[in-house]
Amino acid sequence: MATFDTSDCYVVEGKLALPYTYFAGRVGSTFITTLRDQRKIMGVKCNACGKVFVPPRQTCERCMEDIRNNWVALSDTGEVVNFTVVRYDDKHLPRKAPFVLAMIKLDGADTPMAHIVEGIDPENMTEGLKVKAVFADQTTNTILDIDHFEPVK
Amino acid sequence: MSQDYGVTPNDIFNSMKDRFRAEGAAGISSVFGYDITDAGRWKLTVKDGAMSIDKTDDLSGCDVKLITDSATYVGINIGKIDGMQALSAGKLKVEGDINTFALTSRFFVKFVAPGQDAAPEQELLVLKKVISVKQRFATGPVMGKFLKGLKVQKILAIKCPECGRLQSPPREACAICRVKNTDWVEIGPNGEMRMMEYCYYASPDPLTGETRETPYGAIGILLDGCRDEEVFWHLLRPDQLDQVKMGSVLNGKVTHGSRLRPVWADNRTGGISDIKYFEIDA
Repeated sequence: MATFDTSDCYVVEGKLALPYTYFAGRVGSTFITTLRDQRKIMGVKCNACGKVFVPPRQTCERCMEDIRNNWVALSDTGEVVNFTVVRYDDKHLPRKAPFVLAMIKLDGADTPMAHIVEGIDPENMTEGLKVKAVFADQTTNTILDIDHFEPVK
Repeated sequence: MSQDYGVTPNDIFNSMKDRFRAEGAAGISSVFGYDITDAGRWKLTVKDGAMSIDKTDDLSGCDVKLITDSATYVGINIGKIDGMQALSAGKLKVEGDINTFALTSRFFVKFVAPGQDAAPEQELLVLKKVISVKQRFATGPVMGKFLKGLKVQKILAIKCPECGRLQSPPREACAICRVKNTDWVEIGPNGEMRMMEYCYYASPDPLTGETRETPYGAIGILLDGCRDEEVFWHLLRPDQLDQVKMGSVLNGKVTHGSRLRPVWADNRTGGISDIKYFEIDA
């Protein structure tokens, strides 16, 4: 490899700040406020195909039916269908590494939702684990109003 | 007034006791004044999770005071007027800390006028965040030499060995001749105004995360020693946006713009902001 004079090479450190506004929408807002105020996880059901979506959405992806008002209450227990272990720390992450981020299919739902699983060593984590939602004491008006899921004892 | 359901500020203040939420006022101890210019004055005292409201002319001793008229106050309470909009339109004034005043929205359940649809408006969630991203910009040998020049108050340009054109900030190659640039020359530091972009929207600076004041002028300066399109881009001193004269070259006819000089930063670190901006050289 050719070498060149690097005496003028240096690094400029920078920090970029990006302000943004996220609107949860009507369906998303109902989902979070119900979590927050009633500690109840709600999904929406498509009356045409019967699929239950959580997190909820406005339109069924298969039937294109408007399903925004078809709320159904779901259990706060479910099953881990997939997971990953986050092994690096970053400011935007909700926990210190290592922690488990899992796709959890709640009992009564047909789609999984992503959330944190605590109370189990990441090395012992398995698919099929039964978990239960633990609600947060402090609301943040986000999905973290469920603080985490933990294994059902 | 038909939109107000016949509600008066009196109705709102009189119902405060029934609408009070002790949990919303927990840990807060403040006195709030309401000066409804065409209806009267009220004093709301909140302490130890309890409240009292008094109609009184004497608003002394209030921590914060709201001043508005009946129509605006009623409109906000029944959800027909947006409080922040009324504030920026000058329909409503707050004397004292506005954040303290904003606490009052937590003390009470919403006022519902008789005849008003009792079903509450859905609460819509909006999340405001600032993402902060750390960045590292590796200068490389060419940009590094240029930035080091700024540190010692020199503006350097790189010269194409074939066509002789100057580029500053420099690039490793001349994209017209497709040859590696080799020679360095010092240009400026003074020059002549060519053109300006009047910028009303500023995106965050990738190096500092700060968003500069608008409007600002992004200017092309023909630094001494340069010709044709060899302009150098930087900022114009913010208060001189409307004082500079632009220059141009059109069909060989040269119009000279204002003479400009750089204003150097006191603390120079080898970055483009080592020049604060250019100003009129008078």
